[in-house]
Amino acid sequence: MKNHSEGELVDNKIVSTWMIWGFFWAIFAPAIGILLSLKFNYPDLLSTQYSHFGRLRPVHVNGVIFGVFSTIFLGLVYYMVPKLTGVRMYREAWSKYAVWLWNGTLLVALLSVLFGYNKGLEVAELPNPLPLGLIASLAIIGVQVFMSIARRNEEKIYVSLWYIIAALVWTGINLVYGNFVVPYAAPGVNNAALHGLFLHYVVGLWITPAGLSVVYFFLPVAARSPLYSHKLSLVGFWSLAFFYPFVGIHHYLFSPIPAWTQTVAIVASVMLIIPVWTVVVNFFGTLRGNWSKFHDDFTVKLIIFGAVMYFIGSTQGSVEALRSVQKPTHFTDFVIAHSHATVFGGYVIWVLSACYYVWPRVTGAVFHESIAKTSTWMIMLGISGMVFILTLQGLIQGTVLMEGAEFVDSIVSMKPYWLLRTLAGITMDIGIALVGVNLLMGQRKTGIEP
Amino acid sequence: MKSARVIALIAGFGFLFLALAVQGIFPYVMKEAGPKTVTRTVRTEVGELTAIGSAARPYTALEAQGRAIYIREGCWYCHSMYLRPVAGEDRRWGPVAEFGEYTHDLPHLFGTRRIGPDLTRVGGKYGDDWHAAHYFDPRMVVPDSVMPRFTWLFTKDAASGKQVLNEEGKALVAFIQNIGMSRGKWRDSFPYQILATGASSIQTEVSLSHGKAVYLRRCVGCHGEKGDGKGSAVSLVLFRVAQPRDFTTGAFKFRTTPSGSVPLDSDLFRTISVGIRGSAMPPWFNLPEEDRRDVIQYIKTFSRDFEEFPPGPPIEIPRPPKPTPDLISRGKKVFEEMQCKECHGAEGRGDGPSSNTLKDDFGNRIPPANFTTGIFKSGPRPEDIFRTFMTGLNGTPMPSFKDAFTSPDDGWAITFYVLSLSADRGK
Repeated sequence: MKNHSEGELVDNKIVSTWMIWGFFWAIFAPAIGILLSLKFNYPDLLSTQYSHFGRLRPVHVNGVIFGVFSTIFLGLVYYMVPKLTGVRMYREAWSKYAVWLWNGTLLVALLSVLFGYNKGLEVAELPNPLPLGLIASLAIIGVQVFMSIARRNEEKIYVSLWYIIAALVWTGINLVYGNFVVPYAAPGVNNAALHGLFLHYVVGLWITPAGLSVVYFFLPVAARSPLYSHKLSLVGFWSLAFFYPFVGIHHYLFSPIPAWTQTVAIVASVMLIIPVWTVVVNFFGTLRGNWSKFHDDFTVKLIIFGAVMYFIGSTQGSVEALRSVQKPTHFTDFVIAHSHATVFGGYVIWVLSACYYVWPRVTGAVFHESIAKTSTWMIMLGISGMVFILTLQGLIQGTVLMEGAEFVDSIVSMKPYWLLRTLAGITMDIGIALVGVNLLMGQRKTGIEP
Repeated sequence: MKSARVIALIAGFGFLFLALAVQGIFPYVMKEAGPKTVTRTVRTEVGELTAIGSAARPYTALEAQGRAIYIREGCWYCHSMYLRPVAGEDRRWGPVAEFGEYTHDLPHLFGTRRIGPDLTRVGGKYGDDWHAAHYFDPRMVVPDSVMPRFTWLFTKDAASGKQVLNEEGKALVAFIQNIGMSRGKWRDSFPYQILATGASSIQTEVSLSHGKAVYLRRCVGCHGEKGDGKGSAVSLVLFRVAQPRDFTTGAFKFRTTPSGSVPLDSDLFRTISVGIRGSAMPPWFNLPEEDRRDVIQYIKTFSRDFEEFPPGPPIEIPRPPKPTPDLISRGKKVFEEMQCKECHGAEGRGDGPSSNTLKDDFGNRIPPANFTTGIFKSGPRPEDIFRTFMTGLNGTPMPSFKDAFTSPDDGWAITFYVLSLSADRGK
């Protein structure tokens, strides 16, 4: 099979291989999420030594971050970078090593967690030395991207490329730091501080720049309208790059970590309103005078919906970092609402939306409009419901605890909401599973415009 | 290529390492940010409580193994391990977390979510038996719990046919029971737990039905539906320390009423609130007061003694004197005169000549208290120990010494002597 169409820059085969893995993770990791959420109401459901809550939770979280989101994003890198640089990817033969290394490592690592190999640090659970596989894969991709940029035909470096460069540099460093420095350095409270930084670097210096690069690329091309403002994208990028590295300690407010460190993290968290709002304004501005695309095009529709969730979730995050808000909400589902609004509602939806654009172009297969419509509605209703329910839950549990309710009573008050959350979760998970299934079952047709 | 390098260097490396330095490394090397001392509550030589600064204790091999299991099973996803000075957490669970307490924690286990309660102060809150029952099936002892079962931490005991913790289970319990113990005997002066009030509710249809609902949610796992102390937890898991009370007998240990009498409601209220340290009976001070009061009315329905033989007049517990070395040596004399060593041993270690043969009224073996552990079932206040001497423990070989003492001062002397046996010497 020829990887390239005549005169084409993109290695179609590698993009689709990443995406097929991504579709697999997009069924697998959310399904674990459903099982986990059911365990809140039925703790004995499918509960064994290898499948109880404590073993499954890291599989869900790492599966979504490094499986669903990262895998599809890395596939999109192989689509975006050749298009943005005007050259084929540097050393295309390396690409297949990256994709199999990444996904193979992840699969083995997640199974190891099920078997009890857990480093005990959230989002850095995967047992050493397995994360080296992920890091090596990123290193391969990094070299390919940087060398492609060095050999580019386009003079300007488009904003998506900035984000891709930054994300790869940050995350290369961060995965080494989180997996091979934090678990061995600085015991005690300082370990929590160092880990808090890692934890938020994963979100802020990988998922965020990666996700934004996707929107900056696919929103203008799918809507066929130019980016609203390059100046705004500059403001967004540099404010993100400056403020995001400082926020990690906000996971441990009111802890014995020095108070001024916490204050710096709070200030930085609130300042994140700047990159978030400028980015969102830029996205909406791009559709100015062209809103019919929101109705017609699944990529645009999902990107804009994702931008709304991103706006809500990220603003919630900034507010949540305030001490007064954390008093009731920390440790509750309020935080889980925030993470689902941003990671699922924003980033996962964005990379999935790009699949609607890329998949037909790399495989020549056309998906079913009606299934896509159903799936989009399920995603939008599911995640909206879930974020709403979880936010409400967090506020309820937080306030009843502040009022002195007995702890188990506060859990009992959560149970009906947890059931609703499961229903919302099932809805959105079927929705995203359908994206992959729909694309994979698409009929091959010729003559799709590149 | 220039701008790509700028992005990679400034955004990629520059800001990241700036933040890492400011937020991670700088606080770590700052001297004042890392006080190593922990506020430790200790007993003095005269049996009083006082706070000193001391270093955090390292984990024993067994505890470290338990910690590894805690990490492996992902307990830390649902149980946080730091208490904040807000939202009433220092009343709900105990003193706010201190920097020095975490000295030996690698990786840290702060946690970010509480689907279960925080565990910073769990050490000593529940007995080993409770933990065993709770791991085997959390819903036996907490029917509303959403915690998974950890049945692979158990093995079957050949003699009793019941479940007992295996090596891993014992290690986990050892770890859990020592969390926060660098703070010493803080629980003995934790006002929200040891405080006991004297109010009571009256027996009406409403209080009884509410009390029954509370009982079925909190008590039934150990004390059983019939109140006979044969709940599912006891029938499945081997309780090593003590059997749950059989309410049908009307015999209660911790009372202000005379020997042989049923207790006052306020006695039961105190026991429910404070718990029975070392046994599977947890403290319920977090429960709303009306829950505690009404469940007492329901518990009283299990035995007709409460109706037929009203409680005798409670003893008066005067204000305890200020302990002095003289009082302690007088207490030692009383201890010898009263033949306490027969059961409790000459040094109060619970190893007297008859200690191996003692049985309670229900035929269960009952080891005499070891005073040097500092764990007092009846409560940690001098008033609690005094009360035990004056009223005895119904259903056990521990008699009342009310009439044997020449004056209440004898009672206080021996009370503080007993407390002084758990003095934290040289620590």
